[in-house]
Amino acid sequence: MKSLGTLGAFVKRDFLIETSYRTSFVLQFLGIFFSVVIWRFISRFFNAPPDTPGMDGIDYFAYVLLGLAFYHYLSAAMLAFSSKIRQEQMTGTLEAMLVTTTPTGTIVLGSALWEFLMTSIKVLAYLAVGMLFGVHLRFESLLPCLLVLALTILAFSGIGILSAAFVFYLKRGDPITYLVSSASALFGGVFYPTEDMGGLINGLSKLLPITYALRALRRALLKGSSFADLLPDIGMLALFVVVLLPLGALAFRFAVRKARQEGSLVQY
Amino acid sequence: MTPAAIRTERLGKTYVKRRSLREMVLKPFARAEPVEGLVDVDLEVRRGEIYGLLGPNGAGKTTLLKILACLILPTRGVAQVEGRTVAGDEARVKRSIGFVTADERSFYWRLSGEENLAFFARLYGLDAEAARRRARRLLADMELEEVAGRQFMGYSSGMKQRLAICRALLHDPPIVCLDEPTRSLDPLAAKHLRRFISQRLHGEGGKTVLLATHNLQEAEEMCGRLAILNRGRVVRHGRLEEITAGLPGRDQYVITVAGGATPPADPRWVLETGPQSDGALRITAAIERGGTALSDLLRGLLAGGATIVACSRREAGLQEVFDRMDDDRGAA
Repeated sequence: MKSLGTLGAFVKRDFLIETSYRTSFVLQFLGIFFSVVIWRFISRFFNAPPDTPGMDGIDYFAYVLLGLAFYHYLSAAMLAFSSKIRQEQMTGTLEAMLVTTTPTGTIVLGSALWEFLMTSIKVLAYLAVGMLFGVHLRFESLLPCLLVLALTILAFSGIGILSAAFVFYLKRGDPITYLVSSASALFGGVFYPTEDMGGLINGLSKLLPITYALRALRRALLKGSSFADLLPDIGMLALFVVVLLPLGALAFRFAVRKARQEGSLVQY
Repeated sequence: MTPAAIRTERLGKTYVKRRSLREMVLKPFARAEPVEGLVDVDLEVRRGEIYGLLGPNGAGKTTLLKILACLILPTRGVAQVEGRTVAGDEARVKRSIGFVTADERSFYWRLSGEENLAFFARLYGLDAEAARRRARRLLADMELEEVAGRQFMGYSSGMKQRLAICRALLHDPPIVCLDEPTRSLDPLAAKHLRRFISQRLHGEGGKTVLLATHNLQEAEEMCGRLAILNRGRVVRHGRLEEITAGLPGRDQYVITVAGGATPPADPRWVLETGPQSDGALRITAAIERGGTALSDLLRGLLAGGATIVACSRREAGLQEVFDRMDDDRGAA
């Protein structure tokens, strides 16, 4: 209960800071509107037939809209953990937090919460603007969809925490963010399906959790697929969670201990 | 027996100098160079005292404070806070210590002083209402009530430092560690802060204060006992008189004489003379410690026909200890 209160304090802190930059706060939602409009026009030039492998019979605009929207969760996981920690290191607030009685893990999790909340609001905004432009969302598979979303966030958080571990230890030059973000954008099926792009790319895409997350979310929200249809992707996402979360937590623990031994915990 | 507020025994910290990419490529198997941050530090800070950690930059003061605040793990030895080992009982140690960092940026600049304090209070485990109450109370105690709602970026350096002290007191710890609290303050603000630490924090609040500073006057004025650190080692510790007692070298005397005597020359003393407004001669003398040098100088003055009006010894201060450390460094 106390931990929940502490996490709430992080959300309140970030809300107060974020809303103190009022123009920027409003502009990011305006940005979503323009981004969707741009992709609406671009999709007119990509008349990929819905029977293209990997498209699952979905119209390209709807395909890319969901790709863009949910790719934000991956960016959020990267930003929320590693960039936030780096920012706190540089402003000196990390040291002030680490001398308190709150465990380091709670501090890292709390620092990430606002980013995930904002991302969820942005994703809803993407979907709402998309609906304005004719994307038909189906809500009959909402529960499996929420399960996929939860697993997606947890799997991405595992990567994010791993990335934060690098920031704690290396300060700059965290390789995870670059590798995972680029690979996910290129091979994760965000902008185009990778199913018929050859063995190597197809193989790489299978190593990325975003591939399964986007496929399951598109099927759930655009086709109303049942839980049974989504089960293979849900299983893969659960596997990623089981591997990535403990791996991230272990790496993080090791990095914090190493940084405390070296005396570099709050250096930047 | 009640344990000391802070105790360290043969405490050591060895940093490893990070190698550049160039070094790693050119000498891949070379061992990283160790840098001694603290070497065999033995300290005992009693409950309810103001203990000073004095030393030049890089002496190891901040390293010691950060070990006590659980930010750095020691390499060797033991550090205890109220009888609890720092590396083993982190949560309780953190509850016992309030750490005031030297970094005045360490707040959220877009939040007000009160919002900042309320946030950090939650991290110390206070619920929302208690956090708000505690923040307000401390702001009032620190005379920051009027600016409580102002964004932190609008605070002066003195206000920022006082807010940092408020933050360290949020969980009402018995021990407060201050890392150069007056570093960026003007003389007046520094004086007010020193008075607050001595009278309110230590006097009325009964807190044990561990004060790291390189300001000699501040240490002399505030600390009952202190330790002088140099290159990670405690070179002297105890009460000021104990630290300055028995220093080899020269003692300072001020001798006032009437009559036109020319002070005798001798390698055992260095004299500076100047006439006073009443016609007497004021001699500032640095006289070799021990032996008969002082008697011989006074005898010489009397033999020259002078009348000794006054003779007083100037107590050796921390400056002298520092000068000596500087001489030693030069000699090394």
